[in-house]
Amino acid sequence: MSDIALAPPARAPSWEFLTRLVRDKPLGAICGVVCVLFLLCGVFADVLAPYGFNQISPLNRLKPPSWAFPFGTDNLGRDMLSRCIYGARMSVIIGFSAAALATAVSVTIGVLCAWLGGWFDMLVQRFVDAWMSFPELIVLIVVVSVLGPGMGQIIVVLGLALGIAGSRIIRGAVLSVRQTMYVHAAQSIGAKSRRIVWRHLLPNVMAPVIVLFTNRVGTAILAESGLSFLGFGVPPPAPTWGAMLSGSGRAYMYQGPWLALAPGLCLTIVVFAISMFGDALRDLLDPRMRGSR
Amino acid sequence: MYAYIARRIVFGLLTVIGVSIVIFVVMRVLPGDPLLAVLGPEGLQKLSDADRAKYMADLGLSDPLIVQYLRWMRDVASGTFGTSFFRSESVADMIVRRGPLTAEIALFSVVLSWIVGIPVALISVLRPNSFGDTIARFLSILFLAVPGFWVGMLIILAMLFWFGYRPPLTNIPFWEDPWSNLQIVLPPAIVLGLGQAAYIARMARSSLLEVIREDYVRTARAKGLSGRLVVGLHALPNAMLPVITLSGILMGFVLAGSVPVERAFATPGLGYAMFIAVNERDIFVVQNLVFLYASVFVVLNILIDLTTAWLDPRIRLQ
Repeated sequence: MSDIALAPPARAPSWEFLTRLVRDKPLGAICGVVCVLFLLCGVFADVLAPYGFNQISPLNRLKPPSWAFPFGTDNLGRDMLSRCIYGARMSVIIGFSAAALATAVSVTIGVLCAWLGGWFDMLVQRFVDAWMSFPELIVLIVVVSVLGPGMGQIIVVLGLALGIAGSRIIRGAVLSVRQTMYVHAAQSIGAKSRRIVWRHLLPNVMAPVIVLFTNRVGTAILAESGLSFLGFGVPPPAPTWGAMLSGSGRAYMYQGPWLALAPGLCLTIVVFAISMFGDALRDLLDPRMRGSR
Repeated sequence: MYAYIARRIVFGLLTVIGVSIVIFVVMRVLPGDPLLAVLGPEGLQKLSDADRAKYMADLGLSDPLIVQYLRWMRDVASGTFGTSFFRSESVADMIVRRGPLTAEIALFSVVLSWIVGIPVALISVLRPNSFGDTIARFLSILFLAVPGFWVGMLIILAMLFWFGYRPPLTNIPFWEDPWSNLQIVLPPAIVLGLGQAAYIARMARSSLLEVIREDYVRTARAKGLSGRLVVGLHALPNAMLPVITLSGILMGFVLAGSVPVERAFATPGLGYAMFIAVNERDIFVVQNLVFLYASVFVVLNILIDLTTAWLDPRIRLQ
């Protein structure tokens, strides 16, 4: 046994990456922390929220922000802070599952197209072209108008819509990896397609995949909020930020402007942090993608 | 060039037909009872089978799918687009009445996105990594993150609190009363335009940064042109192609984005009509509006392709 080849790297690469992130992209690092906080908010909503999201308190209707109710209360006396925290949970669930599905779809289509090439690639790419000119919000509206609102269909439709559109990026990345020496080398020693895809292509396109995933979380959250704002999102009483804006936020915004402010601010900060963090990740992991949407 | 145009138009027509089939199949095949929308859940339970068959026949829903599809296509070709479940007006009347508002919003927002986005990109490119560049990039990501409908709500709130002002709610055509019309159209257009401006600025910035490395830009510098002239005269026109392409795509996305934004402003445009139709589960209206939107997207894409081909001989002569 040779002990040279098995020598482990001096420091874990993830730690090195974190220091690079903090040093080169301080703003991105801060936004990364915000993203983690958002994730924790969603996961531990039950523990963090001072009240239940649907806990009505008729005496405390439309109270402005105070120490007892930091974000104020709505027209039924429900604590806005608690509702925003539970709203984070909905956004986490929808954002991350839709983004995971979207990434899986993108990787499948992208790898298949780039690896198989030929007429298959041509056909699928024409379809992707047509699909990309179609805003996902319209697709969502159509599906919801037929199936009725619900979390499952939102996740599936968002995942498919964003996934098909994102496959272009993965395809490009795989195409460029395909040309590399190590893939040719693997081919020349007779490695099977499956082995090349799993052992060589996929690990080497992980950078754009991670960036795409981060990006998609933000897009999905934004799309879901637009849908919820229209009242076609997850049906009540589930507290989503978009639904809070369209429900009590719109109806009572003159009596209680905080109702219109709090959920919108949460939404903006979270989506902003995710995109900033995604941009920082992209600059560090995959400089080729700089400037793409 | 003519062959290119002809090819694009034929391809576009095929896409429209394909999309119409997809929309039709989705609206009919996915579960969901159209009568549920008209009669409500209780009405549906009381409905006898004979009545049900009669209603379905009246609405033309009991014919074979292919007949229904062909009838729909006939309505589309004749320009009536079928009628709503709940209103006596045909979808065509609705489009004629509400369409211009949404078209105005889309147009104004595209113009605004260029007015804001291009200068921001120029600042970034003339002084890369400067304070201005950092601010511009920060703002462009911020505008990508802010949901348009929320900004809309904030604008309404601010106007009302500070000026006690509410925009007119009725549909006023531009040629009758331009000022009232603009009061309705401009706020949503600004909201949507700023969001787009962020995309335009990002795209223009990266495209400019690429073009600036080209030989002819170096030549222009070498012959002593000032930095601004080089960018303005040589780099900018050549960097505009991807921006034009993006702008066309974004115009389609504005049409979609206008649904929640029009709802936030209660603008009586097509986006709001779409919202109402989905809410009432008025499937004929939804089907026709989505088809209209899809056709607009296809036409926009053809126009973009033709514009880029016209501007860039390399594409035209391929």
